[in-house]
Amino acid sequence: MENMIYILYICMFVPLLLSLPLIHKTSRRIMVFLLIGISAALFISEINGLMLRLLGYNTPYVTTTVTPVTEEIIKAIPVLIYAFVVSDDPKKLVASSFAVGIGFALFENTYILVTSVDAVSIEWAIIRGFSTALMHGICTATVGYGMSFVKKHKKLFYCGTFALLLMSIIYHGIFNMLVQSDSWLKYLGFVLPLTTYIPVVYKLIKSVRNKKKEVQPLS
Amino acid sequence: MYLIANIIVCVCALAGFIYGGIRFFRPKKALYAQMITLSLGCIAFGRLFNVVRLLTGGNLTEHFQLGFLGLIGSLMFFFSANYGTVDSLLDDRSKEFTKYRLIALAAPVAAILMYVGLFLLSEVSDLWKIMGAVLTVFVMVASYFNLKHLIFPDVDFGVVKCLRPYNLLALIYSVSIFVESCALSRNNELLTFICCCVTGLVTAAIIPTVVRGIAKWKT
Repeated sequence: MENMIYILYICMFVPLLLSLPLIHKTSRRIMVFLLIGISAALFISEINGLMLRLLGYNTPYVTTTVTPVTEEIIKAIPVLIYAFVVSDDPKKLVASSFAVGIGFALFENTYILVTSVDAVSIEWAIIRGFSTALMHGICTATVGYGMSFVKKHKKLFYCGTFALLLMSIIYHGIFNMLVQSDSWLKYLGFVLPLTTYIPVVYKLIKSVRNKKKEVQPLS
Repeated sequence: MYLIANIIVCVCALAGFIYGGIRFFRPKKALYAQMITLSLGCIAFGRLFNVVRLLTGGNLTEHFQLGFLGLIGSLMFFFSANYGTVDSLLDDRSKEFTKYRLIALAAPVAAILMYVGLFLLSEVSDLWKIMGAVLTVFVMVASYFNLKHLIFPDVDFGVVKCLRPYNLLALIYSVSIFVESCALSRNNELLTFICCCVTGLVTAAIIPTVVRGIAKWKT
């Protein structure tokens, strides 16, 4: 069906949008960014289609070299606006940008599921859930972290954020290349996001615990 | 040979990135060193992209590759580290230091001359002329501050003297990647390999040099 992507977008976007007024304030921010991620995925599908046409339908090259650039830039824009206009708190920015990435992956996964329903399986769902979705979240969260310097260290912000954006683009490109390969390398691609995610989350939990320990003796 | 060359740089940069991460990504550690660690991360990711590209049957010379962004990212982090965190401590913009600022301009001028000689007036493809121009811009800004901090007199804080070995290594890195790009544009495998060996040695030495420099700076 020609308009499947728009049908899917409306089906996902509208109920989530309508739930916004009923959600607690902190969760609402995350939900808004999730919706932005879903919208970004719709927007990028048009751009990627255009790029594919411009580059003569060279799908392997476009998916490993062009789409990481377009996707990471588009996902970073709402976070950049939030950092400039609303808040540059690193915690908020990382959580919000992660939500953009997850929203993006959610829509992408659902679209692939609907359009290739005969080809998908439980393995496919596990792989998409643990690798692709996580990869999108990690890449956007990396850029979001850089944006927390927007007001504190202006000199660092411009170059640092751009450099982190480049880093996430390369990471995305490596991931796409690995998962598309026909050899054993694809398995490396499947575990790459988890190997990045687990140490980061472990370090975050550890630092939160350490902070709590530091606060307790004072109180 | 391209594969081995990129693996050498990737391993060296990754080792530096992990070592730097362990040493500097803690609370109250120098932001300067964190930026340099991230630049090594960019180098490692960029090279990893090249390695995966070669392993999946691609080549590095015919089309634009995302691995190139790793070079740009690393130069941006080098620039950010010097310009964003240390430069304002050394240079109070007084006339007394004008001659050092002018001498430091030799680095960007040399980069432009190298670009004109090795890319613009040579028989390389338009793609490499454009990529060479982009690389030149980033080499110019990063190498200006590296050279400036190499020759700048140590007036107040004793920071420059401690970080001179690092700035020398960063300058060698800039020259090495420039020559490597030139060799790649001509499909010269041997020169690419030699440049990658130099880049690998430099990237492996950067973090230990910074660790030593910062230790001296604090004592």
